[in-house]
Amino acid sequence: MKERFFNTLYFFILLILSVLFIFPVFVVVINSLKFKFSIATAPFVLPNADTFSGIENYTTGIETTGFLSALGWSLFITVFSVGVIIVFTSMTAWYITRVKSLFNSLLYYALVFSMIVPFQMVMFTMSKVANVLRLDNPLGIILIYLGFGAGLSVFMFSGFIKTVPRTIEEAATIDGCNTFQVFWLVVFPVLKPTAITVAILNTMWIWNDYLLPYLVIGKDYKTIPIAVQYLKGGYGSVDMGALMAMLVLSIIPVVVFYLLCQKYIIKGVASGAVKG
Amino acid sequence: MKINQYRRYFPIFVAPCLVAFLIAFVIPFVMGLFLSFTEFRTVSNAQFVGIENYIRAFSDDSGFLESLWFTVKFAIISVITINVFAFFLALILTKSVPGTKLFRTVFFMPNLIGGIVLGYIWQVIINGVLYNFNYSITSDPTFGFWGLVILMNWQMIGYMMIIYIAGIQNISTDILEAAKVDGAGGFVTLTKIIIPSVMPSITICLFLTITNSFKLFDQNLALTAGAPANRTQMVALNIYETFYSRNGYEGVGQAKAVMFFVIVAVIALAQLYLTRRKEVEN
Amino acid sequence: MKNKILATILSLICIVSCFSLAGCGERKEALVYYLNFKPESAAVYEELAKKYEEETGIAVKVVTAAANTYEQTLKSEIAKSDAPTIFQVNGPIGYDAWKDYCLDIKDSKLYSFLTDTDLAIKDGDGIYGIPYVVEGYGIIYNDAIMEKYFALKSKKTNINSVSEIISFDKLKAVVEDMTTQKETLGIQGVFASTSLSSGEDWRWQTHLLNVPLYYEMVENDNKNDPTLNLLDAKEIKHNYSKNFQNLFDLYINNSVTAKTLLGSKSVADSMAEFALGQVAMVQNGNWGWSQISGVKGNTVKESDVKMMPMYIGIEGEENQGICIGTENYFAINKNVSKEKQEASLKFLEWLFSSETGKKYVSEKLGFITPFNTFTEAEQPADPLAKEIVRYMSDEKYENIPWIFTAFPSEAFKKDVGNALLDYAQGTKKWEDVEKTVISKWKSERS
Repeated sequence: MKERFFNTLYFFILLILSVLFIFPVFVVVINSLKFKFSIATAPFVLPNADTFSGIENYTTGIETTGFLSALGWSLFITVFSVGVIIVFTSMTAWYITRVKSLFNSLLYYALVFSMIVPFQMVMFTMSKVANVLRLDNPLGIILIYLGFGAGLSVFMFSGFIKTVPRTIEEAATIDGCNTFQVFWLVVFPVLKPTAITVAILNTMWIWNDYLLPYLVIGKDYKTIPIAVQYLKGGYGSVDMGALMAMLVLSIIPVVVFYLLCQKYIIKGVASGAVKG
Repeated sequence: MKINQYRRYFPIFVAPCLVAFLIAFVIPFVMGLFLSFTEFRTVSNAQFVGIENYIRAFSDDSGFLESLWFTVKFAIISVITINVFAFFLALILTKSVPGTKLFRTVFFMPNLIGGIVLGYIWQVIINGVLYNFNYSITSDPTFGFWGLVILMNWQMIGYMMIIYIAGIQNISTDILEAAKVDGAGGFVTLTKIIIPSVMPSITICLFLTITNSFKLFDQNLALTAGAPANRTQMVALNIYETFYSRNGYEGVGQAKAVMFFVIVAVIALAQLYLTRRKEVEN
Repeated sequence: MKNKILATILSLICIVSCFSLAGCGERKEALVYYLNFKPESAAVYEELAKKYEEETGIAVKVVTAAANTYEQTLKSEIAKSDAPTIFQVNGPIGYDAWKDYCLDIKDSKLYSFLTDTDLAIKDGDGIYGIPYVVEGYGIIYNDAIMEKYFALKSKKTNINSVSEIISFDKLKAVVEDMTTQKETLGIQGVFASTSLSSGEDWRWQTHLLNVPLYYEMVENDNKNDPTLNLLDAKEIKHNYSKNFQNLFDLYINNSVTAKTLLGSKSVADSMAEFALGQVAMVQNGNWGWSQISGVKGNTVKESDVKMMPMYIGIEGEENQGICIGTENYFAINKNVSKEKQEASLKFLEWLFSSETGKKYVSEKLGFITPFNTFTEAEQPADPLAKEIVRYMSDEKYENIPWIFTAFPSEAFKKDVGNALLDYAQGTKKWEDVEKTVISKWKSERS
């Protein structure tokens, strides 16, 4: 009886909190439909006949920021970087876990170490190196992301690999598989849950990353965060309406992704943490 | 024999990652260390100046200490609030309350939104509230400070909550049942059983919130950009501004970055060491 | 063993070149790369680049730095292998920071176009920067609202037209009377928002501060050139600080926006307030016309947009004009190939001497140019440009040059802006602003 009472109480607390959590997004959505000068003064008022602007903010926003191309680049960079990260870091993690050598353990600790280094430490030199090597384009940045994502990803993969017994690998070798086949046919399927976790954590990071792509490719190729920031900083004016519309547009892909992969995301975050 | 057979595969298995890691991290890191002792505009014209950059980093107008202090205050408050809220949400959500799945989905959602976008969302909301009192977020650094705390809570609570939920669900029901049979009350169960058993979750949550709070950049840039008068500027933004907004301060910026790195590393490692020890003790 | 090392090295090279070559193939390096300073003109420049490529087949890449990030964008871009070939410096201070990158262009046609070659940035024998636009700023006012005020029966001043406002005292009397009658006038404030948010405060920390410092420099002018005088000043007295305060106070006390909210306002906000007829005056320059005309639902008529001088209460200011000058000098990057340098100069020459180029410059960019290739009829026709030309050609006015190009650094301006914000919000006193100006000048100059 008492428990039931508390559960109902909890339910209402949670309900109120949920509303509070959704409220900010709701505010942005309603303001994206208002004229730009009716936003700053009264953001919590629903649009009315005087202030309703239709989709005008969306069209101006998409036009001035080049949102569609930004969406394209964000997708391109995120998808391929995550793909490359999964393929190469899983192989590296397996190799340096299985082959014991001084070099490999040094590499492992260097990778783990890179996780706590703030980006500001390397931002200038890294963008310089990227430029000299001609990596300052959407393909080159994938390599940069591989380098930066390697720390966390290798760490998580090897955490899991350590718990996998070597016997199946040995059996496969005896059956005549070469090392490459052993990894992809035998080991990788076992790593799949970890791979999903790694993919999700990296997707969340790369999709939302601002400073790295801004410094490396931001002048020529804008990703979504860069486009949003440019709308605010650029053109010597802040079009609040267009800004609101862009915020909504940049949230939509995230929400879609979230609703589609919710199960994996929540699981991924939880298991990623437990191993960490 | 076996090892040698593996070794042939080094170029395929390790080299790509290694090259990327060298290019994106190791080389820039070493260069960065070196450049912090030089004066430079572009890398090619660096001149050795000893520790002068480190001294200049603490001069009156560099704002480094102020931003560091601001960051520390921010980190302390947000780490506490985020973890407390997240932990209690996790407790409630592991009870048999209807709709837990849906609530979990909602609470986690803000975490997927990028820092820049989050910053602007909250800027509109906070300015909208303050407008009624004829203030804006830049009127007073206190507004910016609490704005950042609220924003950070909104973003991180869901994430930490998921980790705590995983921790709590890992506690075997037997122990909880046993405690109940022994007549342990809610508070005792919490402090004697639940908290000690979720120590690994606490370790990781503290680690994530501390490092994220210290490294915060995008949210700071979008919400206040340091206004008014750089009094809501966090370390990461201070370094960025030193680097890119002032000619002749590149070396100072790099020196600040090195110190920032040392501070973050020391705090993160100290925290891991301390909480890990707690895990072992229990 | 050797083979293994070789294989490793080869594979490394493969990986890097895979990524970078793929990138190269995709990027066609343009001969001309112009790093544009004026965000409001970004679209026009891009159109121009296309036009030029159609006419000559030479690709021009235009990149526009976001507002207030030119220096930092230039810094990161110029370090790149595909560096800007044309960039801009904002005067002697800007030249000083970038002189390692500025090509001597005294033999260029562009230099010969200048009506007054003294305007260029010189260093020794060389010419390193060429101004391409002359601009002016003052207090822009809406004549319709002013006329309405002068016709009011309840008017408490004896001033009957804008031409009678020839000193700060008169301006103040009119403005304060207008504030008390703002309902009758149908406005929400006399002045548009004194935008003080970060990056939006240049109208005060740079443009307004130009006026008192000009008077200080004129006073002990041993060079007969206030800009050079200021450039040499290790310290300033800032003895017209009170006058600076006069006008600044007038702006914030008779504004459409409460003082505590100014920190969230942008230049665009204040131009919109002016365009929508909510205010009668706004301090800005002729570049602001595009912002006024671009506001949807604007109520101000083109023929009503006028400009008056920024009086600050100096003795003998009756003949003071507006502030006219330039902070836009083209420089050619010394460190790119000869081919690129020549192509860049060609492009600029085309821009300021060909029919197509000139049409764009005067009609779309709205530039008043200092070049002899433009006839009188080819100067821009917008109302503010006309006002600038009027002040320039009327002998009666003593226009104030843009001596702020000799302000010590961006950091100086930024700190002054921050102090002004603190003052407006009431967290600092005017003496603190004064102190900031003096001490920051000294520390940034050293």
